Amino acid sequence: MGTSSMRHIRNTCAVLISAVVLFLAACGSISTAREASILEPPERVNAGVANSSTVKSTPASADATLPVRLSVPAIGINALIEQVGILPNGDMATPAQNPWVDSGWYSEGPRPGERGSAVIDGHLDRPGGYPAVFWNLRTIRVGDAVFVTKKDGKQLRFHVTRIAYYMPQNAPLQDIFGNRSSAFLNLITCAGDWIPNQHQTTLRLVVYTELG
Amino acid sequence: MRSKHIFMLVSRISLVIGGLALLVLLGTQAGRASAATPAYIRVIHASPAVGTADVFVDGNLLLSSFAFGSVTDYVPLPAGPHKVQIALVGKGIGASVITQTLAVQPGFVYTAAAIGSQATGLSIEVFFDNNILVAGQAKTRIYNLSPDAGSFNVSANGNTILNQINYQQASNYTSLAAGSYTFSFVASGTNTNLPLAITLAKNTVTSIFAVGMANGSPKIELVPSQVNGVPGVPSTGSDPRPLPSIDTVQSQGLALWLLSIVASLFIGAGIIFRRKAIISG
Repeated sequence: MGTSSMRHIRNTCAVLISAVVLFLAACGSISTAREASILEPPERVNAGVANSSTVKSTPASADATLPVRLSVPAIGINALIEQVGILPNGDMATPAQNPWVDSGWYSEGPRPGERGSAVIDGHLDRPGGYPAVFWNLRTIRVGDAVFVTKKDGKQLRFHVTRIAYYMPQNAPLQDIFGNRSSAFLNLITCAGDWIPNQHQTTLRLVVYTELG
Repeated sequence: MRSKHIFMLVSRISLVIGGLALLVLLGTQAGRASAATPAYIRVIHASPAVGTADVFVDGNLLLSSFAFGSVTDYVPLPAGPHKVQIALVGKGIGASVITQTLAVQPGFVYTAAAIGSQATGLSIEVFFDNNILVAGQAKTRIYNLSPDAGSFNVSANGNTILNQINYQQASNYTSLAAGSYTFSFVASGTNTNLPLAITLAKNTVTSIFAVGMANGSPKIELVPSQVNGVPGVPSTGSDPRPLPSIDTVQSQGLALWLLSIVASLFIGAGIIFRRKAIISG
């Protein structure tokens, strides 16, 4: 083997090793973003949330069928459920007590397990881009199980049937909130890029699930 | 020979790493495609000329014993054209008195009304509905499906809210404060005056259908149908800018670019080494 060939191989190997380092760095970056702890936020972000580790979100109610906890084992979601209503602009509201760690059930609609489309939302991220309760929702797959625990302790099992991204102005609202052909539970969070002058993201992720 | 093995080895390693990087890259973008979104449609039987009926969609029985003046829930229907047939109950699809193809768009919401008398002819009239709620208010819409009543003026608690709603027309949506109302439908041309007492709940959408014959049978009546309005989707994102030091969103975007570059680099190197291996062999 000639000297020039050996030099060529050495140079090429150096380039490849550099590329491997870059590749691992890139993978590490993604992995870090996805695996960031949802329940243990950075201290400076959490500082603004009063007693986030101790406040229980479900309002006092004797109704045994109220949903109180959402669990999606496949993607590590395990969150208390708050009741949320409608904002003055007509949009579904989001959790107010622990906005970054709780999920919000749309209490103007059916309860999970009832006929119709029950809807639960959750924040994608916190100010600064830190992960919030539904950060991992983007990694859910069709067929994954979603569990809702009711106040009486009974658990309902749903399975993912569809996953869709919509621009908020084009979201099929009847499909998300008004399908009464079975017992559905639909999960919503944000996706896409942040639009500063609209104070929202470009997309919504909707995960459709059905009882059973 | 030895250099050929080295080239082949480096080539294979490069292609494998490049391919893996591409798979990771594609994997992060999976699921972006929107799944099939159905249309939603409800049906009202408003044809005085057709008795209790069976409704078939694409040859399958959708509604059985569907009585005059009945309104269904909204049901999902795959987007696209559908053949709708209406036959007297028990007579079978072959005895259909209305056959019409309806094309429905994904995500849209419709009311399909079987309408018409022997004089006007029978058909299915399709309306685009909008069930998006007005926060704290009650939305109302009037549908004139009476073949012979003429044009309606509509008042609520004595205040005129709509004028000149003609046959086969639906009004615009009117937002009213939630509460109890007495509606009055007046068609002066036929001396028709129909009252309806109803409670409108907040965040609902109420349709009031005028169906039947002003002069004939079945007699004209008002059929209300109230559904929960649907809210807009929530805003569940946060401004990533206040804490720019750890901007995970941007770092993820950067990572995707790096992956793209690395994938290209390895695949390119793999091809070059494969060529060298072939030449040196």
